[in-house]
Amino acid sequence: MTARHLWRVLLVGAVLLGAPRAGIADDQASSLAAWQRLLPVLEHPRCLNCHQANVPLQGDERRIHLPRVERGPDGMGDSAMRCTACHSQAANNPSSGAPGAEGWSLAPETMVWQGLSSGDLCRLMKDKARNGNRTPEQIVEHVDKAPLVRWGWAPGGSRSTPPLGHAEFVQQMKLWAAGGAACPQ
Amino acid sequence: MLTLNVNGTDHQLDVDPEMPLLWAIRDRLDLTGTKFGCGRALCGACTVHIDGDAARSCSIMAGDAVGKKIVTIEAVSGKVADAVRSAWQQLDVVQCGYCQSGQIMSAINLLSDNNKPSDAEIDASMEGNICRCGTYVRIRAAIHEAAKTLA
Repeated sequence: MTARHLWRVLLVGAVLLGAPRAGIADDQASSLAAWQRLLPVLEHPRCLNCHQANVPLQGDERRIHLPRVERGPDGMGDSAMRCTACHSQAANNPSSGAPGAEGWSLAPETMVWQGLSSGDLCRLMKDKARNGNRTPEQIVEHVDKAPLVRWGWAPGGSRSTPPLGHAEFVQQMKLWAAGGAACPQ
Repeated sequence: MLTLNVNGTDHQLDVDPEMPLLWAIRDRLDLTGTKFGCGRALCGACTVHIDGDAARSCSIMAGDAVGKKIVTIEAVSGKVADAVRSAWQQLDVVQCGYCQSGQIMSAINLLSDNNKPSDAEIDASMEGNICRCGTYVRIRAAIHEAAKTLA
């Protein structure tokens, strides 16, 4: 081969070697993009208020729960201040204004989201040791069907709803999972 | 029509399932020892026991209480209840009395779970019961006193 053609060969070779294999990088990119879209939902008060270490938060203003309650031995409060003392396990209470849904309680201790970066929250979300032993597909199932999750979109009172509709949120979760549950740094 | 088991007896009540349990207790069953204070689960005057746990009856829907054991201040019994009553009398805890049904029901729940609570545990458990007369110091002392007899 003459020098005249060598640089063309080298150029094409460099391009081919440097190009990502089609499919996997696309999957990863679309998974990451889906994560960026669903993150604001996870950080919205309707979700984050109960994904707390010891004390739930209340309202769009995220104030400390009043009266003060704590996680207790099982995530449902302690003694005379159990969650069920005031919160229905079926529905919002129209007289007292106390919200309610099946399973009303703090999220488990391994699912504390407060203070996590986007990357750390993403890694927690797909860590089976911390996420209730769920595959990404099972996480999709959970956010699609779990009554307490769905409550976030029908919270009653003057509570705002997350920035994506529930169906859209589930769709983004599916995209995230399908692309390999990619996480930012 | 729903059936509520209150103080050991079943009662058939023609009430909306969303009616606050407090109303059913006071207006339909004439059990007026349980008080209305705020209606928003913020004061604890309405505290009863449901299956042994303290509950704010203003924030319990009657329909949710079906099939459960509801006990009010009029009928709460047992050695913890006796110890609490005795301590409350001995230390003259009560001032106007309005909050005290709720205070007593919460204290009984606390001492049934933990018969030697620390001050911090008393704070945490009694947090939901407010007293406008400021008898908190006597409430705390009476809980400690009741704990002594339960030791």
